[in-house]
Amino acid sequence: MPLSTQSQIEDEQYVFMASLDNARNISNILKAIAFKDHAVFTATPNGLKVTVEDSKCLQANAFIQVEVFQEFTIKEDVVGFQVNLTVLLDCLNIFGGSTAPGVSTALRICYKGYGYPLTLFLEEGGVVTVCKINTEEPEETIDFEFCSSDVTNKIILQSENLKEAFSELDMTSEVLQFTMSPNQPYFRLSTFGNSGNAHYDYSKDSDMMELFKCTKTQTNRYKMSLLKPSTKALALSCKVSVRTNSRGFLSLQYLIRNDDGQICFVEFYCCPDEDVEED
Amino acid sequence: MKFRAKIVDVACLNHFSRVVTTISKLTKSCVLRLTPDNLFFVMSGKVANGGVSMWCELAQANFFDEYQMEGVSAEDNEICLELTPENLSRALRTLQNAKVLKVKLAKKHCPCLTIAAELPTLSSVGKVVTHTVPVDVIPRRLWHELKEPSMPDFDVSIYLPPLKTMKNVVDRMKNLSNFLVVKANLNGEMNLKIETDLVSVSTHFRDLGNPPWGDDASQDGGPSQSRDPDSMAEARVDIRRLQQFLMGQQINPTKAMCNIVHQKVVHLILLHEDMSLQYFIPAVA
Amino acid sequence: MQCVVTGGNVKVLAKAIHSLSRIGDELYVEPQEDGLALRSVNSSRSAYACFLFSPLFFSRYSTPNGHDFRCKMAIKSVQAVFRSLATLEKTVEKCHIELDEHKNKLTFTLHCKHGLLKTHNLSFQDSESLQAVFDKDNCANVFRAQPRVLVDTVVHFAPSLEEVTVSVSDERMWIKNHVEDEAERSKAMLTELCLASDEFDHFAVQAQNSITFCLKELRGLLVFAEATGLPVSIYFDEPGSPVVLSVADSVLEGNFVLATLSDEPSVHKNNSRGTRSAPSPPPDDFMNDDIDSYLIAMDTSVAPEPLTASPPRPPRPSLPDSTCSKRPAAANHRTRTHSDEGKEEDGEEDETVDSDRPPNKKFRSLFFGSVLPPSSQMSTQPMSCQEVLASDSEDESQTD
Repeated sequence: MPLSTQSQIEDEQYVFMASLDNARNISNILKAIAFKDHAVFTATPNGLKVTVEDSKCLQANAFIQVEVFQEFTIKEDVVGFQVNLTVLLDCLNIFGGSTAPGVSTALRICYKGYGYPLTLFLEEGGVVTVCKINTEEPEETIDFEFCSSDVTNKIILQSENLKEAFSELDMTSEVLQFTMSPNQPYFRLSTFGNSGNAHYDYSKDSDMMELFKCTKTQTNRYKMSLLKPSTKALALSCKVSVRTNSRGFLSLQYLIRNDDGQICFVEFYCCPDEDVEED
Repeated sequence: MKFRAKIVDVACLNHFSRVVTTISKLTKSCVLRLTPDNLFFVMSGKVANGGVSMWCELAQANFFDEYQMEGVSAEDNEICLELTPENLSRALRTLQNAKVLKVKLAKKHCPCLTIAAELPTLSSVGKVVTHTVPVDVIPRRLWHELKEPSMPDFDVSIYLPPLKTMKNVVDRMKNLSNFLVVKANLNGEMNLKIETDLVSVSTHFRDLGNPPWGDDASQDGGPSQSRDPDSMAEARVDIRRLQQFLMGQQINPTKAMCNIVHQKVVHLILLHEDMSLQYFIPAVA
Repeated sequence: MQCVVTGGNVKVLAKAIHSLSRIGDELYVEPQEDGLALRSVNSSRSAYACFLFSPLFFSRYSTPNGHDFRCKMAIKSVQAVFRSLATLEKTVEKCHIELDEHKNKLTFTLHCKHGLLKTHNLSFQDSESLQAVFDKDNCANVFRAQPRVLVDTVVHFAPSLEEVTVSVSDERMWIKNHVEDEAERSKAMLTELCLASDEFDHFAVQAQNSITFCLKELRGLLVFAEATGLPVSIYFDEPGSPVVLSVADSVLEGNFVLATLSDEPSVHKNNSRGTRSAPSPPPDDFMNDDIDSYLIAMDTSVAPEPLTASPPRPPRPSLPDSTCSKRPAAANHRTRTHSDEGKEEDGEEDETVDSDRPPNKKFRSLFFGSVLPPSSQMSTQPMSCQEVLASDSEDESQTD
């Protein structure tokens, strides 16, 4: 196996090195947040966090736990770098990213540290590809200060129902409005487009609703252009948690199961567009 | 000048359709050259095609149940027609389940190939579809442009990896760069490589094998014999040309080969029992 | 107006709207006593379509008595209500439609699985009544075919193809692509297809004619016909007067009225019944296997200049070309498709990209007394008993 022939000595030069049998297990998750080119990678002994931001108003984080990797070596407490995510995804899928059973691309990720490229070794069916992606110093990411103690409303529902809504969103609407309330309509998504408005109401008693904990009626609007990219993550996910805090910030957490049944998370934080007076 | 041919066998029809579709993906316009034994689809390497040329040869007997032609004259028993292969391809695609398909050269308002098919139907009379594909008849004085390109005096000849794998790799590389370097040696190794400001990607194929070209290959004393087997010959090509070749390919060749003339040309060959396709991509600086 | 659609009928309604979207940009909604009429017309007014869903189509249908109301809105926004066409049947249990005249609001409420409720409030404009005046019952030529027969026929024509010419004899129907002029003729691929009368459920020809009309709208109707499995009836008279494509069952009726190209006078005369020989030979002697009967000699010593050198195509007696009035090459197809490339939209299966293009060449505008008084007779059955308008292109303001 060409990937395992990397000599021990070479391995030791890397501050961060990880390998996995199936590159799709990370390429899929990264695809879910690939709405901007720049991605900040933060590796810690717990795993890999990849952050993408838009307009200082939206942040997406993909968490790939250390368990997803077959090998995960990190020489420092935190290793950070920034790469072009679109390029990285093309590299990860160099063999086509086949979903056929029995076909998978083995992957080894190596990083020697500041100033060095991110090196990927990919192997499928005896063919090896080596990619060297230029890295940059990571930009500082925004802290949305979304702490669980400040959560006003929270629901968890199976993604199926929400996928339908997101696939049908009226894109002529500038905003997507979330209403969460202990009373009717409980959970409502609304759009206000050129030809009229639309409301999608989710019953709190639906078999799709796994948790419903709303303490206060809250209506907030978020820019459609910011939320639309989260559709990719939604499409991959099996469950989604929707939370709002007292300042009207939105947190969407998607639970995604990979090919091997392991669970990863992708979360989106979004600033409210404007305050809407509650009726 | 007369031409008329007939396909009854549905497998032959599908195969012919796949060949024509492959051609249509490679070029908007090409020449169909008809001889008593063969059909050729030819594109000469004009600048307008990015210097790419193509030569596809089909043994008529393996496709047609009937095949009759009379060329321009007894000594020049050939017909050369310029046409849009996409037209032909579309006509054939809609006629996949024809009971019988006939192709003939006709002159209606202009010279054309008519492709007529009888389709299965519940009706007693039968359903007939006729597609008329306009063609330009190439005068004999221009035929010299349509001769089979000679085998280039290549530095390395190598079997290609599975075309699907190669296509996947080239598709991704196309997203990252406009040019690609093809390298190969006589040790069965081939590399595809791109390099940009952001990234370098190189894919290594091994154990591909090198075709045993006999003395008849134009090797002039055989540089390949004396060549260091590990020494790479390489050519930098427009990645779109290579992608085009891999994308349209529907032939499932029994053999696929690549000859490289160092820094000059990449010569791709697909061989099937009853047809062959050659494709020449010029190197760019 | 209030109505409720349930079960499989939700999909039928959605398909009808989808199919109407192939015609025009706006949906005209008119609740009538005899059912809900949904209509559309293209910008050049050369194509019109109407579906009438009878009260029995709905599980509930109520409309205020003695009071006419009609409105129009962007058809896209109505399509959006039924966007997930493929899963509609599985997800939507009930669709409630309410027209609120005072709030200028048309509300679709979809009751979906798992307690999901989708409410779409669409704003609308008041509109004049949209009525095409035609009389299909007196058409000389009437055909009816299963949708599959027609789907298998149009599949042979390129998606970009605009018009087809349909010619009929006592026993055959020929369909071929219509090519504008000689210049295009030498470049374009021609496709011709022959259907025998027994492919049809009904085949009645009184006038052996050729008509030319747009393929796009036919494809639109076929989307509906195929989904519902309803046979398609075709009615037409002569070049220049409209062709009517219809589907119907006990609870709905759909009529697509398409303008046809008007014939050139000289060709038209050839069309008169007397000059026609009876059963036509199939095109291009397909059945004939004698090679010399159709091989042609061509001299290659002459450089090919087909545009000028080739003689005009000899007319086949059985199949008069409807060589229609020439028009400047400006309205070329290619320029149009080019400008449409940017408009590719959300993976919907429809190819409606060009409904807002400039008026279509020399198709006559079909109809309409645009502002028909909403008399009750007229609104109950807009399709019948009105004069054929389309044959008279000069006077477009006919009313009864």
